[in-house]
Amino acid sequence: MNNESISVIKVRNILMVTMPSDPDDSTISSLQNKVLGAMEQTDAKGVILDISTVETLDSFFARTVSETAQMVALMGGRTIVAGMRPAVAVTATQIGLTLKNIETSLTVDRALDLAAIERPQH
Amino acid sequence: MNSVGQIEVSIKSEGDIVAARRTVRDAAIQVGFGITDVTRIVTAASELARNVFKYAGEGVMTWRQLEEPGRVGIELRFIDQGPGIADVQLALQEGYSTGAGLGLGLPGAKRLMDEIDIRSAPGRGTTITLKKWRMI
Repeated sequence: MNNESISVIKVRNILMVTMPSDPDDSTISSLQNKVLGAMEQTDAKGVILDISTVETLDSFFARTVSETAQMVALMGGRTIVAGMRPAVAVTATQIGLTLKNIETSLTVDRALDLAAIERPQH
Repeated sequence: MNSVGQIEVSIKSEGDIVAARRTVRDAAIQVGFGITDVTRIVTAASELARNVFKYAGEGVMTWRQLEEPGRVGIELRFIDQGPGIADVQLALQEGYSTGAGLGLGLPGAKRLMDEIDIRSAPGRGTTITLKKWRMI
């Protein structure tokens, strides 16, 4: 049905994680393992989760994103969710999906700025 | 009230939740909804399709276009023969879940749509009908 998978690449010290536009539940569930595994293997400082092509963010998807961000935090990293579409933001707010304690940015570009500015590397 | 067409999607695998979303997206666009309402309708459908798969194992979703003077709409119906909902009012409360979820699925779907009708009893399955209208 849906063969698109999550892409994870390391850019500098950040993991760029890109969600496909309409992932099935198994693909969504694989987010945690992929991200946590890559954090360990690459010694990344944080994660930018690009959801700019995502058209539907339901409660299952949102919960997985929240839990993954919490786990990344426990491993000493930060997560920035980037590129949420306006219609998705309206819908998420209406059903109470607040993504509490998760940083967000309008675009991946701005997420990279945010990651660089607030925690400069010494 | 006129209705145009009726399309059925069977829900018995995870992939069928994706199929239900795609069918509803195309349907909502066809009825003429804008992108924000399309997203609301597809998100509501995603929550309920997952509930069918998760709680009943299988079921069907049907949709049809509604036409009334001054407005058109979309009706989505989710039918399963699963365990049913013991207390519909409780199930509509945010944060209530018998599963491992957030308890936002059913109340979320209610908030995103204009009308919701739930017919269910323990052991008798569940039929949930949702409507969303667009003024013309």
